[in-house]
Order: sequence, then C-alpha cells, then structure tokens
Amino acid sequence: MAATKDSKEQKYDRQLRLWGDHGQEALENAHVCLINATATGTEILKNLVLPGIGAFTIVDGHIVSGEDAGNNFFLSSDSIGKNRAQAATELLQELNSDVSGNFVEESPDKLLDNDPEFFHRFTIVIGVQLPESTCLRLGMVLWSASVPFLICKAYGLIGYMRLMVQEHTVIESHPDNALEDLRLDRPFDEFKSHIKSYNLSIMDKKDHSHTPWVIIVAKYLERWLSEHDGQPPKNYKEKEAFRQIIREGILKNENGGLEDEENFEEAIKNVNTALNPTKVPTSVEDLFNSEQCNNITAQSSSFWVMLRAVKEFVYNEGSGSLPVRGSIPDMIADSQKFINLQNVYREKAMQDAAAVSKHVESLLQSVGKPPESISEKDIKLFCKNSSFLRVVRCRSLAEEYSVDSINKDEISGLDCCCFRFFSYLI
Amino acid sequence: MVQLVGSLRKELADSLSTCKVLVVGAGGIGCELLKNLVLTGFKNIEVIDLDTIDVSNLNRQFLFQKKHVGKSKAQVAKESALQFCPSASITAYHDSITNPDYNVEFFRKFMLVMNALDNRAARNHVNRMCLAADIPLIESGSAGYLGQVTVIKKGLTECYECQPKPAQKTFPGCTIRNTPSEPIHCIVWAKYLFNQLFGEEDADQEVSPDTADPEAAWNPEDTAARAAVSEKDGDIKRVSTKVWARSTGYDPIKLFNKLFKDDIMYLLTMDKLWKKRKAPTPLDWQQLEGNVSPNEEAPASGLKDQKVLDVWGYCQMFQDSVETLSSQLQEKGDDAELVWDKDDPPAMDFVTAAANLRMHVFSMNMKSRFDVKSMAGNIIPAIATTNAVIAGLIVLEGLKILSGEMETCRTVFLNKCPNLRKKLLVPCVLDPPSANCYVCVSKPEVTVKLNVQKTTVLSLQDRILKERFGMVAPDVQIEDGKGTILISSEEGETEANNNKFLSDFGIRNGSRLQSDDFLQDYTLLVNVLHTEELERDVEFEVIGEAPDKAPPPQSNQEEVNSITNGNKDSAQPSTSSKAEDDDLMIVDSDEEEVAASNSAAVATGTKRKYSETGESSAKRPRTDQSDAADDEDDIVALD
Repeated sequence: MAATKDSKEQKYDRQLRLWGDHGQEALENAHVCLINATATGTEILKNLVLPGIGAFTIVDGHIVSGEDAGNNFFLSSDSIGKNRAQAATELLQELNSDVSGNFVEESPDKLLDNDPEFFHRFTIVIGVQLPESTCLRLGMVLWSASVPFLICKAYGLIGYMRLMVQEHTVIESHPDNALEDLRLDRPFDEFKSHIKSYNLSIMDKKDHSHTPWVIIVAKYLERWLSEHDGQPPKNYKEKEAFRQIIREGILKNENGGLEDEENFEEAIKNVNTALNPTKVPTSVEDLFNSEQCNNITAQSSSFWVMLRAVKEFVYNEGSGSLPVRGSIPDMIADSQKFINLQNVYREKAMQDAAAVSKHVESLLQSVGKPPESISEKDIKLFCKNSSFLRVVRCRSLAEEYSVDSINKDEISGLDCCCFRFFSYLI
Repeated sequence: MVQLVGSLRKELADSLSTCKVLVVGAGGIGCELLKNLVLTGFKNIEVIDLDTIDVSNLNRQFLFQKKHVGKSKAQVAKESALQFCPSASITAYHDSITNPDYNVEFFRKFMLVMNALDNRAARNHVNRMCLAADIPLIESGSAGYLGQVTVIKKGLTECYECQPKPAQKTFPGCTIRNTPSEPIHCIVWAKYLFNQLFGEEDADQEVSPDTADPEAAWNPEDTAARAAVSEKDGDIKRVSTKVWARSTGYDPIKLFNKLFKDDIMYLLTMDKLWKKRKAPTPLDWQQLEGNVSPNEEAPASGLKDQKVLDVWGYCQMFQDSVETLSSQLQEKGDDAELVWDKDDPPAMDFVTAAANLRMHVFSMNMKSRFDVKSMAGNIIPAIATTNAVIAGLIVLEGLKILSGEMETCRTVFLNKCPNLRKKLLVPCVLDPPSANCYVCVSKPEVTVKLNVQKTTVLSLQDRILKERFGMVAPDVQIEDGKGTILISSEEGETEANNNKFLSDFGIRNGSRLQSDDFLQDYTLLVNVLHTEELERDVEFEVIGEAPDKAPPPQSNQEEVNSITNGNKDSAQPSTSSKAEDDDLMIVDSDEEEVAASNSAAVATGTKRKYSETGESSAKRPRTDQSDAADDEDDIVALD
C-alpha cells in the first residue's frame, strides 16, 4: 500500500503541485460518464484518465466506422466494426492502470427510456455530439439529480461547450495571490500581547535584525495610530510617511550609516498589503445572504451548514471578521521568533474553528442531525478557506430553451459557466 | 467551390501529406503535437528529443507507459504514434538538437519547425537555426493552466530573442558557502554538495567555508591561529571533498560531523560575519542520537512528502541517502559519477536532508521534501489538458503558415480563467522584429561591461558567449588589425588561453571581439567596456538591456471575430477591439531555469490591480514579469 502511494506521488508529482492532494483525492473519487466516444470525446477522457480519475464509463451505441478510425487517435483500423464504447475503453484504459474503465454498448436514449437512474451514479456526465432532444431529456434527469452535465459539440474547426450544474460549491478554490490574513488593522488580544512582548528599542543588534516584519509593522502602526487619532495610513502619501518611520527605525552603525536589516526592508516592502483592512469579501458576503445559507434544513449540504456557522461566528465571536486563517508567510526571522509568532496565529485559528464548530453543532442539532456528521477536520479546512469560498450556478438547459427566457446578451453575461469556450477558424 | 478533405481545403490537405515538418521535443507538448499532426494528415514528421522517459512524465505524456520508463522519448513516441496511425512516416532522433549534425542544411529540409521544448538554451538555439535557414518556427510553452503559442519568421516577426528575458537568478558564492539567509541558499548548497560528493566536481560549486569572503576581512596573521582551531579542516582542504569522503568510505556520520559540526565551527571563527547576523549552531550526530525521543511516528495523514520532519528525521534521511548513493557509486566502479536528478528518490532525499540540516543550523524553518523539490528542481506544474490545448493551437498556426497566410498568424495566450471579456484564449498580433535584437538584426552587436583584468577567456566563453548569448561553439577573433584568435571551437587549439585574462591579449576599453558560431551561422560583435566598478560577484553587465530600455509599443490584441472573417454569429460579446494588456504574458515552461513560473505570471495580473502607486502599470507585461519574478522568493534558477 505504502509503495503504491509513493509511486502515485511520483507519477502525479507535476499535477499535485497544481491542485494539491485534496484536488487529487477529488479526482480519484470521481466516476466520469462519457456519451459517445468521438474524437472530441476520447480526447476529453484522455485528459481525465491521465491525471487519474477513479473510473469512467463510456456510453455509446455506435459501431466504429472508417471515419472514426481516421480521426480518432484512440480507435484503430482493427476496431472498425466493433462497438465504439468497447473499442475506445480498451485503448483509453491503457493510459493509466489506476483508472477503472467501463463501457455500455447502448445509446443514451435507450438508457433514458429504460433506466434513467443509471445516470445518477456519476460525478459528471459529458455528452458529445448529442442531438438536441437527447440533451434536453438527459439534461432534465441530471438537473434534478444534481449531476453536472457538460455538452460538447465540434464541427471541423469550430467547437462549443456548455456546462449545466445547479450548484457547485468550492471550498479550496486555490486563489492565485491571496492576501495574507494578518489582522494588523484589528489585532486580537493574543496578538496584542505578543506584540507587547517585543521592545525594539532595547534589543541587541542580532535580535533587532531577526524580529519578524509583522511585529515591526505592528509596533510602528501602534505608534502611528496614537499620533493620528487611531486612523491608519490610508493613501499613498500617508503610507509613504509610514514607510519612512519604519525606515528610521533601522539601526545605525558606528559611522552613522544604516545597518543592513533585511527584516526592516521586508516590513517596508509589505506595508501596502499589510495595511489592507480585514473584511469579509463581498463574494462571501453574498453567499451569507443567499437562501441556502439562511434556510438550513436536514437536506442542506455540509457546505451550507458550515457557511451558516461561519456567518454566525462573524456576527458573534468574530465581531465582523472571518475566522483567522492561521498561516503566516515566510519571513526573515530566527526560528524561535518565527515559531512563536506562527503559534499565536495558529492557536487563534484553532480557537475560531472551535467556535465555528459549536455553531455547526447546534445547527445540525436544530435539523435533527448528529453533530459528528461534519468532522472537525472539515470545519478547520472550511474556516481556513472561508475568504475564498465559491459557488458556481448555471441555468438549466430547459430554461435556456424556453421561449420567454431567450436573451442572448444575458447568456453571454452570465458568470463562470455559460461562457462560450472559443470558436476559431483559419 | 472549395473542395474539402475532412475540414481542410484540398490544396492544403495535399500539401500536408507531402511536406516535411520537425518537432523539437517529445515531452508534454511534443506527445500531444505528434498525435495532432498525424490526425491532421501530416505524413512526414521528424522528432528529436535527448531525454529518456521518467515516471513523473506519465501523468501527461500519453504516448508513454510505465514499461517505457528509461527509454528514449523520441523513439517511444514514434512507435506509439505509429501504432495508432501506421500510414505516417516518422523519424526519431534520440539526440540533442544542439548537436552539430543538425546544421542549417538539416533545418532547410523542413517546411515548418515546431518547438515543444522545456528550456531556454535549446529554444535560443532552434530560434537561430530557423533564422539562419529561413524556416518558419512555431514556439510554444506551458506552465500549469497557462500556455502560449507564437510564430517566428525571419524578417516578419519578432524572433525568440527579440525581447530580453528575465535573467537567471544566481547567488554569490559566499552567501552559499558562508552566510545563507534563505532556504534556497541551503538548497543550492545541498545540490552543490551532491556533485562534490557523488557527481562531477566543479570548482564553482565549492561547499566548504569560503575564507576569501571579503566581508570576513581576515588578517593574514590570524589565519595560522584559525588553522589551529580547526585542524581537521586544514587536513581536508588539501584533498578534494570527494577524495576525502571516499577515504572515509562515505561514512554518513563522519560526513555529517564534518559538514554540520566542524565546518560550522570553522565558520564561527570568522567572527566578523556574525556581528550582525545570527550565528549558526553546529550539530553533533552523537548528541542528536542521544536525544531521540521514542514516541515519534505520528500517524500519517496527507502526503508523506509534504510533511516537515524533525532534525533527527533529516539526520536519518541523510544517513540512508548517503548509504544508498555511495553504494550506487560503488556499483558503477572507479571514477564513476552520479548525476543529480530531482526525480531520483535517493538523490532528492539527500538534497532534502542536507538542505534542511543546514537550514536548521542557520536558524531557518525547515521545509518539506515536496517544497524542497519544487525549489531544487525548478519544477513547473504540468497537466495534459494545457498541453493538449497548446498543441492544438500549434497545428492551427501551422495550417495558416502552410496555406501561405502568414499575415493571419497570431501569438495566442491560454489563460487560467476567462478574462474580462470572457476569453480563455487570447490572440495577439505578432510584433515585427526588434531593431535592437542582438540575434535577428543583420549585424548583431552588443556592448558588455566587464573588468578586462579580472575576466578570463574561459569565462568570456562560458558565462558570456554561451550562457548569456546562447552560442553553442563560439570562435572569437580580436579586431586588432591582426585578427588574433582568442577562442577556437576546434578542440586543442586555444585551451591554453582559457585561464588568461582578457587584458593579457591586449583587450581593453573599446576593444571589439568578433564571435562566430559556425553551426548557428551567427556572428556577434562584442564591444568591450572596461570597468572596475562592478558589484560583488557580478562578472559582467550587458549595456542597453531592459528595464532601462523604453518599452516597445503595445501589441494589439484583436477580437477572434476579425480572424473569423467577420463571422458575427459566433456569439462573441461585442466589445471594443482595443484590448487591455492584462492578458499578455510570456509563459516559458522551463524545468531547468527560472523563466516565468505559473505563480509569477499570474501574480503579475492581480498585482497590478491593487498596485496603488502605479509603478508597474505603464510597463509592458513582459518586462513587468521579471519584476514579479524578482519578488518571488521561490522562483530561482539553480542551473
């Protein structure tokens, strides 16, 4: 077991650096259904099988034609005359032995006639080159079962893709450049007393130049606030003045020149982002106000229960702020000082998560669910990512096709999911 | 009436089946590209790659399977592609494209060259070969979810080297050897150490304390006293690290105590270094061993690689990896050398352990194996999807070139998220050649600032002409009226000059050196500007480089609509045709070098959004990116 884990880590190394082990786990738990193993279809599946989805099932009632063998890399001339689902499964399976490949030699329409619930088992269904009638029928089945449905079409050099999902909640959205959550503008008590434990004016040179920049900024900010009626530096000019004050704190050497204190340089460099006010992002605020958040029922998914709990936290213990994230960036400091600072944030994050956990518990209780139905680990992860939560929602295909909702401008204006992928002609 | 074969015009389809194309690289993009080419109807394809297949390739390089690990990428790619499409004729070369066999004549055989490379040196070289042979080149790269494709044609477009790329980050020797202040310094040190112990020894990769550190400013008379403090070290100095290590039989504990105890104690005697810095703390194997607490082995959750071990954990990793590597070395016989490879577990373990132990000695926070690997290997994340999109775009550009519609070619960027106008793929008009390019102008010329008394002929050749100006085998002649040959690419002709200084040959301020690369058919005139005021550890500077150069005019992005012949049915939101430059980025997928990493490239975009001071917004994104890279601690070039 350990050996296979190691070899997987090695095989998937380059992608783990993109989506992390939770992303990989999600992928490995996924069962993907592809309808129609056309060139586009197998190409999509190839890109999912390689990174290691758990399983795929190809649904295809067609027989491999000469044309298929010519334009599909995963069908060869030997497969002409065979069922397309089977032939493609065999070759795609070769790409990754960790993936379980299945096929159903039947058309999606037949399956819809006989056993529409067949499609409920999948994490996502991808339909390629489906006629409109099948799209609508299948769309209805999947919409009500909350299974995401991706429609793809390709004609020569033009392509089209459309995703339908009622609701897709994302906890770890991997933001590219998230601001750190340092709370310099609203220090919590433990952080305040930690700042107090430093006295820059009586430190020896070594300690002075190994004090984390967060402490330096916090110290000078205290001074600034006392001299400016409690108002932090706001505009460029004030921030520049604030930087200057920090700069003046750099120790002087025997000749009166400035010592080389990289931690101070770091503090000056970070002034701008460090002074960013702590607030609940509007995207999260919007989620707080949504129906699913305010109306928790026994059917609510754990995402919404946790979101509601975080909301309760913000309006109570958090006094307007999300739970502390608990991580700090790398900075110049000696190990001990860094670890002490890190622990201050870490412990606060644990406390906040524990408070959120209490809210989760009472919410679950109120809808008659056992408290252990959401684990501490999940709550911690949720709290850590609470600034970056995302929910993707799309319109159903049925709605798009109904006469009264035809509005092209709106379609192209919808966020995230309804964008046209691209069309390209030479 | 246009006759179609599949989705192509008949004339185009015919020319595909007869023309010969070259694919340089059979990795992530290369595999996808080969598939696309055979499916599009290309019949004569040559592919070259010097690499062999590694396990970490299998998540995306779909022409390879586990049973192929260790085999030639080009060869296996060819065989796998032929299995699917037996009618194509594919020639595979398991070789480096910089090999002189692939000369200008070789390149002239092709209608089209497509790069699917992962390093800048090879890209530079192919760029020059295609300019010399006047063959159109399609250049591409990917990094995580980002990617880019562009077309290069002599005289019509910018060449690969028209825009200066961010310089590779290097570290001063004394920072590595004496005063590391960031984890990366310890990682570089550990990689050097690997080579010193097991690999090819390189005088530029010393790991022992640097007694010539100007900052330490020793009095010569003190030296004797110091030698007494650490006589063990005095002993070691006389023989190389490798010879000494071998004499101990690669005893991990002896190595440990030398590297993390004796050498550190020696460094402590250079007391000037520690006046302002926190002094390192030596480690002692026996002492650490005595302090091991028995209640370790916490239950594993998450990935093992992402855990940070305690000091003793790294001691054990050090011991195990030294034992494994030394027995590997022994099996290979006398004078054998190991090559460091980030995907070779014991080699990676060794660097992880040694780097972390050094980080601990210098009071830094230790890093997980996963993180050390990222930094030591300059790993760029990679997935099949991105490569597939990029390879598809390469073929589309290739079809335009073969249809004789060069003017419709674009450079296309693949973004991670749809941009403000909901586009994931952003085409931009190609820029004309830069008048300042030191490669594609008719008489390339550069000015280099250096100290003629301190620069050796060898470093002119290796650091300046090869590394900086991308030559493979330069010949250098001094324009002194006599035509003195300074460097010859013929073996054995000018090696005697290597360690002499430029001034020994009468080179002084204003001297002109004509450097030729016969293979690349490239001549560069180097004007020497003598100076004695270069910063510590800077060997030379190239004059007139970005960022002091004024930014060239912005590229015009245009709507996909305009490419689609005014086909307004494509439901594109109608927006103005003048685009924001936010979408522009150069993505270089380079495992070997810094280039633009994923995070740096993306950071640029948002950084500018909340940049209040507006320092960066006026700059062209390409140069902007180098700023971003400088700010990122994690992005560094080690090679």
